[in-house]
Amino acid sequence: MKIYGLTEVSLLLGYLLRRSALAAVLCCGGLMSAAAVAATASQEPLADAVPASAIQLSVSQVQQLQQQSLTAALVWHGASPWISAVTAGATAEFNRLGVKVVAVTDAQFDPARQVADIENVTVLKPDFVLSLVVDPASAKAAYQQLVNTGSQLVLLSNPIQGFVLGQDYAGIVTDDMFGMGRQAADVLAQSFATASQDKPLQVGMIYHDADYFITNNRDQAFRQQLAKYPQLQLSASKGFVREQETADIAAALILQQPQLQVIYVSWDAAAEGVVEALRAAGRKDIKVITHDLGVNNLLDLAKGGNMLATVADQPYLIGQTMARVAALRELGVSTPAFTLVPFNTVTQQNIAAGWQQAFQSPLPALLHQLLAHDGVQP
Amino acid sequence: MTSLLARVPLKQWLLRRDAYIYYIFLLVLAMFGVVLHDTAFLSLDNLLNIVRQTTPVTVMAVALCFALAVGHIDLSIGAVVAVSALVAALLLQQGSIALAVAAALSVGVVVGLINGFLTEKLQVSSLLITLGTMSVLAGLARQLTGMESVPVVDNDFIFWFGGGDLFGVPVLLLWTLLVALAGYLLLNKLRFGRHLLAVGGNPAAARAMGIGIQRLRLQALMISALGAALAGLLYAGRLQGARYTLGEADLLTVIAAVAIGGTSLFGGRVCIIGAVLGSWLMGMINNGLILSGFSTNEQMIARGVILILAVAIGVREARHG
Repeated sequence: MKIYGLTEVSLLLGYLLRRSALAAVLCCGGLMSAAAVAATASQEPLADAVPASAIQLSVSQVQQLQQQSLTAALVWHGASPWISAVTAGATAEFNRLGVKVVAVTDAQFDPARQVADIENVTVLKPDFVLSLVVDPASAKAAYQQLVNTGSQLVLLSNPIQGFVLGQDYAGIVTDDMFGMGRQAADVLAQSFATASQDKPLQVGMIYHDADYFITNNRDQAFRQQLAKYPQLQLSASKGFVREQETADIAAALILQQPQLQVIYVSWDAAAEGVVEALRAAGRKDIKVITHDLGVNNLLDLAKGGNMLATVADQPYLIGQTMARVAALRELGVSTPAFTLVPFNTVTQQNIAAGWQQAFQSPLPALLHQLLAHDGVQP
Repeated sequence: MTSLLARVPLKQWLLRRDAYIYYIFLLVLAMFGVVLHDTAFLSLDNLLNIVRQTTPVTVMAVALCFALAVGHIDLSIGAVVAVSALVAALLLQQGSIALAVAAALSVGVVVGLINGFLTEKLQVSSLLITLGTMSVLAGLARQLTGMESVPVVDNDFIFWFGGGDLFGVPVLLLWTLLVALAGYLLLNKLRFGRHLLAVGGNPAAARAMGIGIQRLRLQALMISALGAALAGLLYAGRLQGARYTLGEADLLTVIAAVAIGGTSLFGGRVCIIGAVLGSWLMGMINNGLILSGFSTNEQMIARGVILILAVAIGVREARHG
């Protein structure tokens, strides 16, 4: 019998744990969702989108829904604080409308697993299904089967090619991924007003090098907007696949390009590694800009560390709006193809407000203590 | 199974040490059946759902049993799934099912050959070699299509490897039964299988018997990768497309399925039927927990508890058996 050595077993365990943790690790800011569909930054599909504030139910519509025994299922791509906030928003709204949430699934970014989740949920015949599709191509047939049983489908960000609005799905609710990417570049231009064409701001970019609809569009929008500012120069650009890689990438980047003044990172959890590398290198002068909210980077932001700002969407509102779109469609009201949920730019001055708007939950204790101690917020 | 029962008294068969997987399977089925009596958990459609969903994992589990039988492990199976599925999807665009299937299966054969050759020639643990090939293949899968999904629209392929029904029986169930039967016969009824187990259980004794250890180990790794390649085809058919992330998350599930099913992760003891039931058990737990309305966090906790209980019962039975 061949017995593996301790080193080999620990390697295997390490590997397996890493694999199973991958899905969780990748989560942040709802960034992940795979799709290779339609939209590109140059053909922005959100131009005709309706703002989330326009999606409201009247008192009589709410009463009408409350009188029925409706059910909903939430079929997510992964699990993260961001998706928990979407779930919380959707569940709160469904509760208000008398709709019972009967299932919540987490595909762990695995398209096959999501197809299985959809099939499992179909058995429950829910009236509403809210979902973020991992891979629209492979999940299409399963969603079609679900829709054929009479469920109202509301999608988060990712479209499914060939699906007809009003017939196959009730609408898509999305954050303004293009606007968020552009805003990150605009924030740089505003924050470094002294930069000029002769002495441009040296910007590094650590982007998500995988096929994910939201991050790809956000990164691309940032790149395009940056090019519009002659005083901002993209001097280095490196991709990453897993969040754990960003610390090493950032360390290499600042060795090769010590003149960098700002680094853009695709999302918050990935930016944590970059901040860590900058701290280790003693480069407090290099600022970091990213998307979404996470406690660690907000602590750094509050303390005036490397973080410059973060452009964050509002996941709780996304969930609420998805539930409303589904409910309106159930009542026979025509709903828009795209509903846009706004974003905030969170800087040292508005951390507490930014958190509240995004998550509709109390500020984490550590952050609360720090801000209260500084006497600025909350 | 019938032949087994004919030779072994029923009571003795029911009490044998590797029979616990049957009881765990029935116990979990009954548990969900009672708890979820107001849902369609026990409906034929839902049970077939579980079988369909788990078919690629089942095929991988059966194939992995061969590698485990000789004391090897194959971590590259998940990556083989992705490459095989992508190769099939790309070649299907040329219109030839036979070519697509042959090429996809060849991916498995070649990867298995490389895994086996390197492991035996370099005398390095298969764990490290297959960890390396896994990374190479994962990179290749990303490279192959620039990380874009490749749709499969060939209805014949989708029928035979995905959503088809033959005389009312899902094709994926037939694949499960076919692979399980082939695995069972190969390992339990042929000299080849007995030799594999001898190599895994006691290599020195196997060598003394004149068994070609290196060749058998290489063949075992080839079967393991070939199974993964077939799983890639089944994924491509079921999902009507291929993507570079396919199979990525399956390794842990496959290992859990074979371990729960009574196969030793260190060689010498294999239970093919246990691997199939282990795979179905994993799918059933997943399905049942979703239908139960738990949050995703609660599902993860419950899944872990059920798995630990299953393994604990298994270990206890094995000790007392």
